[in-house]
Amino acid sequence: MRILVVSNLFPPVVIGGYELGCAKAAAGLRGRGHDVRVLTTWSHLPRHAEALPGEVRRLDLPWLIPERPADRGAQAWLDYAAMCSSLPNTMALLDELRAFRPDVVYAWNLVGIGGAALVDLLDISGLPWVWHLMDRAPADIMASVTDGIGGLFGQGLRALRRGKVIAMSRHLVDEIEYVADDAFPIPVEIIPGWADAADTLPHLPYLRGGVARFVTAGAMHAHKGIDLILEASRMLKSEGLRFEVDLFGAGEVSHYIGLAQSLQVQDVVRFHGPRTQQELMRLYRSYDAFLFPTHEREPFGFAPIEAAAAATPPIMTANCGAAERLVGGVHCLKIPRSAEALAGAMRQVAARAVDIARVGRAARRLVEEDLSFRRCLDRIEAVLRETSSKPSVRRVDDPSLTALAFLKHNLSVRLRFG
Amino acid sequence: MMGALRIAHLTPTFFSDASVIGGGERYVDYLVRALATTGGFIQDVVSIGTAASTRSIAHATLRVFVNDAPRAGAMGGVSASLREAIGDYDLVHIHQSLTTSGAYCTALARSAGVPAVGTDLGGGADELMLRRGGIELLDGVISISDFAHRLLGGAFTGRAEVMIGPVDTDAFAPDPAVARDPRMVLCVGRILPHKGVDRIIDALPPDLTLVVLGRVYDEAYHALLLDRAQGRDVRFVHDADDAALLGFYRRAAILVQASTARDVYGRAIEKPELMGLTTLEAMACGLPAIVSDAGSLPELVPDPRFGRVFSTRDDLAALLGAVAEGRWPDPGAASLARDHVVATHGMVAIGERLAAFYRAVHAAPRWGR
Repeated sequence: MRILVVSNLFPPVVIGGYELGCAKAAAGLRGRGHDVRVLTTWSHLPRHAEALPGEVRRLDLPWLIPERPADRGAQAWLDYAAMCSSLPNTMALLDELRAFRPDVVYAWNLVGIGGAALVDLLDISGLPWVWHLMDRAPADIMASVTDGIGGLFGQGLRALRRGKVIAMSRHLVDEIEYVADDAFPIPVEIIPGWADAADTLPHLPYLRGGVARFVTAGAMHAHKGIDLILEASRMLKSEGLRFEVDLFGAGEVSHYIGLAQSLQVQDVVRFHGPRTQQELMRLYRSYDAFLFPTHEREPFGFAPIEAAAAATPPIMTANCGAAERLVGGVHCLKIPRSAEALAGAMRQVAARAVDIARVGRAARRLVEEDLSFRRCLDRIEAVLRETSSKPSVRRVDDPSLTALAFLKHNLSVRLRFG
Repeated sequence: MMGALRIAHLTPTFFSDASVIGGGERYVDYLVRALATTGGFIQDVVSIGTAASTRSIAHATLRVFVNDAPRAGAMGGVSASLREAIGDYDLVHIHQSLTTSGAYCTALARSAGVPAVGTDLGGGADELMLRRGGIELLDGVISISDFAHRLLGGAFTGRAEVMIGPVDTDAFAPDPAVARDPRMVLCVGRILPHKGVDRIIDALPPDLTLVVLGRVYDEAYHALLLDRAQGRDVRFVHDADDAALLGFYRRAAILVQASTARDVYGRAIEKPELMGLTTLEAMACGLPAIVSDAGSLPELVPDPRFGRVFSTRDDLAALLGAVAEGRWPDPGAASLARDHVVATHGMVAIGERLAAFYRAVHAAPRWGR
């Protein structure tokens, strides 16, 4: 298949699992012989040596800009371009559709690149397309499509009636539908986050030397539960428990280093900065549990699955996305989202109140059997193939589409700002 | 109706007290009636309003969708609900196509792959449509006069036709039982400077009577007219209903339509008289017409036996002098005027041309579906 991947970010520019998942899927599809082109935004970082040859970095990114103008009108303009319509990006997508002539378009995160207009273009182009959701992007994008602009770009989730949607959890689907106050007009294929147990090394003995070793990896922000980890650590330290917590990732690191200091847990909590996915997969083997007290709206979370692949079971918020796939007490420990609950689970591990080795082995088996990248890629490939084979009226060569995109963008700007 | 084409007349306003009573709205109403004379079409008038509603009107269903841009003015109305609704039709006719509303409907129709015909009724000159290529997304253009078509400035290069009318020649017809007043000069139009009523008053010979029929939309101009009418036989009627209007058409000797591209205050008028429907209605009632050279008006009187064109006040004075002296029009002018309107601008004539145009566009849309 000729597959055009569209993503707001692509390595080396990443925020988290969404972009890494996109890159992994693109590489996996290419590895299976498909002709894959990636349309994405510019990168201010050096390209990786293993970068895909089919990267087309033509899209502008009026989002995630470190320095935003102070003027509110200018901010509103940027936000509009990011969420609703960016004419250069719409034109760039149209150019790629015409030049590459994909059998199927495989869209990932469209936030930040004028997603509503891109969805509309895919809709009217008649090309088969699949939107892989690992965040509530449709709800956030459609929230920008207000009033009459909905006529131009589609309103609510109904705008997706001609596409195909993959979501990484039912939890995510529910959240999108709740936030959008709308329902997907088409069945949604659930394909979870994945990991490769083959990328890991055999787990080291648990609780070596009577010390419990905990790890977390991801963005260092409150919604990921970093505050809770520090507070739980304070509780456990005051009890005299022997444990360590290693935190990997970027974000508000200096803030949390200060907080750890003020909580007097700096001797048991260490911040290591970001590591690559591959490095983390090799590191997890030395830990007893992965801490994942993330917010309830976490769509899934790759990191706990990758830890599980290394037989390091997660301690996770009971109703986050990944919790759909893991059984509490079997593959993981599930907790309500609080410092007390987190401390309680960590205490169980440190006190050998749970057979953490058994849970770790079960978690690894689950990843090998149900959440392996190979298995998920099989399903992605099947969805793409099925979607591409459906009959459709393809209008991508209609010369009027360029003028139509121009008219729609300018009308939408008039309706929004006029 | 098997095989009937489903047509939507998309218009930002509709002919009703609930919307706007104006020439553009009445034009859509007439066009529906004209097309209904041919058969083979199911018609809806689709418009924008403060509340959603659906009801039957003559020869069509009126569907009103809620305006999502209520502060944008009458020609800026849009509704997101149209995105779904437009797919119900085989072809849409976008009235007021050079407005925000028209541009919006054009975008929706093209997105849905529904063939679209556009008509400028004078509501705007939208830059996106006229100078940025939007109008080229239409599959066809119907202009209400050659003048209106020229105003497009070549921006549209697809299938186009000029259709002046339609006029309801059953309603607007002479009544042999009503005697004409050979001294009565009739002027019908809103009291606005670009209507050039001042020019008629200035040129009026002493032995003719001028009746000016129309609501006052500009008090200052009205005062100017009253001042200029001092010492002349000029009568103003501001509250005439349709029956009274018809009565004047039947009694008058001549109609004068004096619209101007530069009004009495020296201001340039961008689109004076895209069609001049009142002139055609008067002629359908057997009234010869003297029209100015503004806008489309000369197109309405192709035969000097029943219609004359003036440029200057002196031209008009000379023509009115000929009327006063009985040198023009000839006695047969009334029949010629009516016959011309029926044959060229009547409901059936326009209905047939409109049906043929719609079918041609539907059969071979410019951009495909």
